Amino acid sequence: MSSKKSTAASNVVQLECKNLHEYLKSQTQIISKLYDYPAICLAVFRDCIPAIAKQFVMRMLCVEQPVPQAVVQSWGSQVYAKENSAACEALTELKIWSESSISGGLTAWDLNPSFKRNLKIAWLGGGRSWSMFNSVEQSDAKSRDISFLDTYAMSRWNCLLHYMVDSNASKGSEMEGISVDAVRIILHANLMVRNEQDGSYMLTSQGFQFLLMDTQSQVWHFMLQYLNTCEQRGLSLVECLSMLFELSFSTLGRDYSSEGLSENMLTFMQHLREFGLVYQRTRKEKRFFPTRLALNFTTKNAIAPENVIENNSTNNSKMQLSDESNYEGYIIVETNYRIYAYSDSKLQISLLALFTELLYRFPNVTVGVITRDSIRQALRGGITARQIISYLEQHAHPKMISNAAASAFKTSSVLPPTVIDQIKLWENERNRFTFTDGVVYNQFLSEADYLTLRDYAQSIDVLLWQSERSRTMVVKKSGHEDVKKFWKRYSKG
Amino acid sequence: MSTMAETTPDDPSLLVICVDSNPSQGILRRNPDALNSIINCVTAFGNAHLMHKPQNKLAVLSCHHNGSKFLYPSPEKSLEIRQMDGQYEFFTFVEKSIKFNLSELIKNAPKIVNNVESMLAGCLAMALCYIVRVKKAQPIGTNLISRILVVTGSEDSAHQYMTYMNVFFTAQKERVVLDICTLDNTLVLLQQGCDITGGHYLKVPQLDGLLQYLLWIFLPEPSIRSKLALPPAVKVDYRAACFCHRELIDIGFVCSVCLSIFCKFSPICTTCSTVFKVPVPIKPKKKKIKT
Repeated sequence: MSSKKSTAASNVVQLECKNLHEYLKSQTQIISKLYDYPAICLAVFRDCIPAIAKQFVMRMLCVEQPVPQAVVQSWGSQVYAKENSAACEALTELKIWSESSISGGLTAWDLNPSFKRNLKIAWLGGGRSWSMFNSVEQSDAKSRDISFLDTYAMSRWNCLLHYMVDSNASKGSEMEGISVDAVRIILHANLMVRNEQDGSYMLTSQGFQFLLMDTQSQVWHFMLQYLNTCEQRGLSLVECLSMLFELSFSTLGRDYSSEGLSENMLTFMQHLREFGLVYQRTRKEKRFFPTRLALNFTTKNAIAPENVIENNSTNNSKMQLSDESNYEGYIIVETNYRIYAYSDSKLQISLLALFTELLYRFPNVTVGVITRDSIRQALRGGITARQIISYLEQHAHPKMISNAAASAFKTSSVLPPTVIDQIKLWENERNRFTFTDGVVYNQFLSEADYLTLRDYAQSIDVLLWQSERSRTMVVKKSGHEDVKKFWKRYSKG
Repeated sequence: MSTMAETTPDDPSLLVICVDSNPSQGILRRNPDALNSIINCVTAFGNAHLMHKPQNKLAVLSCHHNGSKFLYPSPEKSLEIRQMDGQYEFFTFVEKSIKFNLSELIKNAPKIVNNVESMLAGCLAMALCYIVRVKKAQPIGTNLISRILVVTGSEDSAHQYMTYMNVFFTAQKERVVLDICTLDNTLVLLQQGCDITGGHYLKVPQLDGLLQYLLWIFLPEPSIRSKLALPPAVKVDYRAACFCHRELIDIGFVCSVCLSIFCKFSPICTTCSTVFKVPVPIKPKKKKIKT
């Protein structure tokens, strides 16, 4: 009789996408310095801490002394004690508050003084203006409207994506190239790798996943990678972060002055300009406009419509309710799995080709079909069903959106439910296997031996699989020792 | 298909604040400066709501003696506001719009001689209309969590009983939570509205601590309120106001057709014109006359 060990593991590299909270947690050494900036305090409060923790902070914000822990505990309901302690933990983790002892031997929570001061400033006012908001003159005639900024930002960002899709095909051709810096970041982020033989760049599976993310997540992920390398460029991480957050809290369609910014920050600004986060007419100009990419880039699906100012006085619409961006989708998905993509962009078509089988190409439209094979191929590349669906939703054609809005039965998505379900099913199909480590027993000399051992394994509940005809059985790895001992005892006696 | 009722932490939350700015309120007659501090608190509270989530939305309505008006978002032209100090530019904008619009409202309002009731019920109806409008403008698949907060120092007004009830039940149907923060009087009617929609009712003991009370009781979204230890609801007085004299009554007459309430018997219902036959309570009287 012999036994073999077998193990299995999946080998697809998932793109690690940290959110702001996770990122800050990994930056413990600078986190206290970050709280010197109101913009960062505001972002941390808004995006990083659980809802209950926000209530705790709000209540303590106006209290000028440490609050006993017992008091804080009494704010939460007993039934949800677990969530409350999780909230407390999150605050400790981000060093928003710390333990201190007060008279009477009680332990108390004390808010980080600079966090407290700066969050209050951001909320209620006071203090100095933010660095990029100071020395503002009145905006002049050459202001840019929002649609211009949107187009500009998207064209810059697409330039980057284009490069990733076909870096080799279009060297120096129709579009503007991207700087060496940007390429370095892409390589650093492991989105592309350099082929050792011919020196060409290839997209990695993480790169594919990156391309399928929505623009906001892309910007965030990309900027994180940038920040990881910014120390090497001689830029201060703290300053860069504060600048980014100040930008994200600015108003779309308004100009800001770059006067008074340090040399380093001006360099940083030029990088942001290259990625399309800010618009500046010329390198030397003292004014710049933040674009939609820079606004609220830490959180998904959120650009407060109020953050957008209406430049043209002709627009007298009563109150702005919808946050319509100028972006229009191009994909129509039919219930028969057909996809019509009204686009001539190489980037968009090649992204679509990642998970669809393209049938026809016309000058303005491409027709494809989603098949089991095409989806499975994408899944094998590490792309998830969720990513595919969200890509399709994000780029849905306006016609599809209006149809879904008009349809009698309300769905949570603009896509046909059958397509969504099927894509998810195809993904689940791949997860049919559950892997359990096991040991194979075979080549038994007699049927009796086999049966005794099998029955024993079954009785102690470690038998995974067995076949009487081939006299083979598989037991759990944890049960291997027991079965082996039993076998020794049995074969002796 | 996901169920529509499900709410996720990412859903936007709309807060509509109705501030009573009527000069005939008790607290304002005693101390006209109080309006200033009330507005400051309400503005700070509104900004605190916006600070919670980037998706959060805010609207502020003022209920004056001659009508109600939006303070934020501004109904007409918006102001060009730049950052002045360390405050987030957008918060400065909210604050300035509220103050500017309120001063316009007060300047343009006609002078009053006698005390006039605040049209709070109308203001609430406006708030509900706004909520429904914003709800419709939402992209598909997002739920809007909405609530109304009333900050008032006015007295209860049984005159607006019908409008109040309509507003309360509409709010309940639209799943809008109604919170009441009263600064001066106990408001029996509005308390019923809180109870119906599942909101909180608070009579502020001290005007000085208004902001802290607002932040404590009314800032948490309805979904997380159960996780916090908030003061328990008080027993609600469910008395109705009669349709004839607009007075709160314990026992009265109810029209069997339209359910209108009267404090005295009348042979014809004033609401639906039903004629009632042979009123029962009169019979024993006749016997008395005979003997």
